[in-house]
Amino acid sequence: MLNHYLVLAVKVLLRRKFFTFISLFGISFTLLVLTVVTALFDHAFGPGPVEPRQDRTLYAEQAMMYGDHGAWSSSGGFKLFDTYARNLPGVERLSLYQGGNTVYSYVDGRKIASALKRTDDEFWRILDFSFLEGGPYGTADVGEARFVAVINATTRQRFFGNRPGLGQTLEADGQRFRVIGVVEDVSEVRRTPYAEIWVPFTTAKTDAYKAEIMGGWNAMVLARDKASMPLIRQDFNSRLLRVELPDPKMFRAIVAPFETKIEGLARMMPTGDRRDPESQLWKLVGFLTVLALLFLLVPTVNLVNINISRIMERASEIGVRKAFGAPSRTLVGQFLVENILLTLVGSVIGFVLSVLALRAISQSGLFTYAHFTLNPRVFVYGIVAALAFGLLSGVYPAWRMSRLNPVDALRGGVSR
Amino acid sequence: MIRHLARLIWNRKRQNFLLTVEIFFSFLTLFGVVLFAVYFANNARNPIGYTIDRLWSIGVDRKEADKDLAVKARHRETYRQLLMALRGMPEVEVVAAASTGPYANSNWGSNVRLVGGRQVRFGVNKVTDDFRELLHIPLVAGRWFSREDDGSTWTPVVINRRMATEIFGDVDPIGQVIKEERDPNGPPPEPDEKAEVKRVIGVVEEFRQDGELSGSGNYLFYRFRLDGSEAKEALPDRVFVRLRPGTPATFEEGLVKRAMAVANPWSFEVQPLDTMRTDKLRQYTIPLMVVGTIAAFLLMMVALGLTGVVWQNVTQRIREFGLRRAKGATIQNVRTQVLVELLIMTSLALVSGVALIAQLPLLPIPSDLAAITAPVFIGSIAVSVIAIYLLTLACGWYPSRLATKIQPAEALHYE
Repeated sequence: MLNHYLVLAVKVLLRRKFFTFISLFGISFTLLVLTVVTALFDHAFGPGPVEPRQDRTLYAEQAMMYGDHGAWSSSGGFKLFDTYARNLPGVERLSLYQGGNTVYSYVDGRKIASALKRTDDEFWRILDFSFLEGGPYGTADVGEARFVAVINATTRQRFFGNRPGLGQTLEADGQRFRVIGVVEDVSEVRRTPYAEIWVPFTTAKTDAYKAEIMGGWNAMVLARDKASMPLIRQDFNSRLLRVELPDPKMFRAIVAPFETKIEGLARMMPTGDRRDPESQLWKLVGFLTVLALLFLLVPTVNLVNINISRIMERASEIGVRKAFGAPSRTLVGQFLVENILLTLVGSVIGFVLSVLALRAISQSGLFTYAHFTLNPRVFVYGIVAALAFGLLSGVYPAWRMSRLNPVDALRGGVSR
Repeated sequence: MIRHLARLIWNRKRQNFLLTVEIFFSFLTLFGVVLFAVYFANNARNPIGYTIDRLWSIGVDRKEADKDLAVKARHRETYRQLLMALRGMPEVEVVAAASTGPYANSNWGSNVRLVGGRQVRFGVNKVTDDFRELLHIPLVAGRWFSREDDGSTWTPVVINRRMATEIFGDVDPIGQVIKEERDPNGPPPEPDEKAEVKRVIGVVEEFRQDGELSGSGNYLFYRFRLDGSEAKEALPDRVFVRLRPGTPATFEEGLVKRAMAVANPWSFEVQPLDTMRTDKLRQYTIPLMVVGTIAAFLLMMVALGLTGVVWQNVTQRIREFGLRRAKGATIQNVRTQVLVELLIMTSLALVSGVALIAQLPLLPIPSDLAAITAPVFIGSIAVSVIAIYLLTLACGWYPSRLATKIQPAEALHYE
C-alpha cells in the first residue's frame, strides 16, 4: 500500500512541476537556515576535538559583584578562584586561565598580532590539544615562571615560515618566550581553549592580579563523574557567600557560578539574570524557541497555502475516490505520505546547500580557524525538524481535504 | 465594484484568509529589514563630527588596578612622561589621551537628573586639551578646553548641539550650569564627595563616536588634567597620535618600543583608525546582511507561493470567468478583477500590519534605538508598503494572463 502511495506521490509531484518546485524551494531553504544555525551552535557549544569531556566539565567564566546601587560584571579574579575554588569535593582537576588578549610582535618590519592566553599547567590536562611538536608546559615551568610557550600551527608559520618551531624563540608583548610545543589551530569560537600563543600565567608582567577578586580570570573544573556536578556547583556558590568584598558599601554579594558552556551563554544574553547563581538555561531555550517559531511562521503559512492549492487542483480526483468509497482516513494518509516524501526530498537538498553554506562561512574568515561541518548530531536534529515541518504544514490541508464534499469535488472543486 | 469584489473574496474566505496572513507576515519581515537599512542609510548622510586622517589609536593596558591612590599617582606620572615622549618623536604631529574615542569598542554612557526630575542620557568621553585639534572637531559656539580651565572651581564641559538643545532649549548654553538634583533612589553620597558643578564652555556640532552608521545621540566631553590636582581622577585608557604625512606603517614598531621603554611594564595596542573604522562599520553591516539575505529568500519563497496560489485560483474559477465573458465582460475586465481582488487582500494585510507596527513607538524603547526618528520610521513603512504591493502585483501578473486566455464557450462547457 505504502509502495503504491509512493509511486502515486512521485507521479503527482512530477505532474505539476511548478508547485513541486515552490514547495521544495521553501522546504530546503527553511531547513538550510535551521541547519546552519544548529551547526554554528554545535560548533561553539557541543563537545569538540579539544573539549571532548564537556559532559563532565564546568566553567566559571562570568562574574558579577552587586549591591543596591550598582553592579560590576566582568570575569572573576585570580584571588577569587585561588582562594575559594580549590579542593571542591568531587573535582578531579581545576584549571585557572586568563581570558586572553591580543599581543603584537614585530618581525623584520612585519607586525604580527596573536591571541595570547596565560594559563596554569592543569589547563593542558583538562583539554585535549593535539600536539604537532613537543608538548605542554608542566608544574615546574609554571612554578618557576619559565618563559616557555606553546604556539599553534599558524603562529609557527607566521614567525618561522616552514621551519619547525621547537626550541625557537619569539617575542610577544615585549617578552621573549622559548617554544616548547606546537598544536593544531583551535577555532576562535571555542572560547576556552582558543589562543594562538599559550604561556604560563606566572610570566605576567606584574603580580597585581594575585590580589584581585574581579577581572581577567576564568576557572574550569573536570568533575570526577556526572553525579558530583550539582554538588560542585552548590558548594562553590555557598563558598562565595563568605567572600570578603573589597568595597562593602558598594557591593554586598558576588556571583561566579560553575556552569556548562551553554548555560554560560544563557547568562550572557539579555534574558539572563547575572545576579542569580542558578542556571539561566531555560530562558535561553525559551528565547530561541520563540525566535525559531517566528522564523518558521512565513515558510509554514506559505507551504500550507501551496498544499491547499495542490489539493484543490486535484479535487476531481479526490471526488472520484470518495465517490467510490475511499474513507477520509486513507485519503489523508495518502496526502501526508506525499507531503513527507516532498519534505524529505527538500531536506536532502537543504542539507547539500547547508554543507555549501557552512563551507562558505568557514572560508569567509569571519571566525578565525573555524571549520564548520555537519556532524551526525546536527543531521539528526535537521531530520527531526524537517519531519515536524512537513507534518505541521500537511495536517491542516489534509483536514481540509477530508472535509471535501464528493459532489462538489466531482464537479471540479468548491467555490468556498 | 469594490463591494462586489469584497463579497467574492468573502465567499472564499478560508483560502483568502491564509493568503492574507502570509502577506501580513511577509510585510512585518520586510519592514524589520527595511527599517534598519533606511536608518543606517539616513545616518550615513549626516556628519559624524570629526576626521580621522593619519590617526592611530594606542590602547593602553596598565596591568594593575589603580584604586589605591599611591598607584594612581605613579600611573599618572608615567602617563605624563609617555605623552611627552610621544610628542617628542619627529613623526608625530599631535598627541592626545582620552577614555575612549572614535570607532573604539568601548562606550561610556551616563545620565543626569535635571532639577524637576527630567532625565538626560548622554555618551561621555574624558579627553586632554589636544583632542579637538587631533580630530578637527568643529565648534559651533564657545571654546574648547585649555589652560584657562586650570583654576576653575567648577567642572568645564563641552557638549554637542543636540544635548544643548535638549537641556537649554533656545537659551544660549555657553556659560550655563547644568542644574542637577540628586536622585532620591541613587546611592548615598560619599562623606568627602562634593557636588560636581558642570558648566558648559563650548558646543560642538556633533560627535558620533561609533561612526557613520550609528545614530545621533547626546554627547559630553570632560577634561583630563593629569597634573595631579585631582587625586581621585580616573586615568585615560587610550592615546591617539596623528602622524606627519608620509610616515610609513613600519613606524609602529618604533612607536611601541619607545612607549614601552618609557612606561614599563605597560602594554600597547596600536591600530590605525581607518582599520578600526572598517571593523566598526562591519559590526553594523554584517548582521544586516545576514538578516537581509534570509529575508530576501523568505520573500522570494512567498512570491513563488503567491504566484502558485493565484494561478490555482484562476484555473479553479474558469467557469465563473467564462460566464462573465459570455455576459459581455472584456478580457481586460476579467484580468482587472483578478488583480484587484489580490490588491484588496494585500491592503487588508497591510492595514493590519501597519496598525500593529504603529504600536511600536508606544513600547519602552531601548536607548540605542531611540535615535530612530519619525521620518525614518514612517519612511520605512512607506517603502515596505510599496514593495509589498509591487510584489503581489508581480505575483498576480502571469496568472491573470491565464484568465484572459479563457474562451467563453470552452469555459461554459464545464457546466
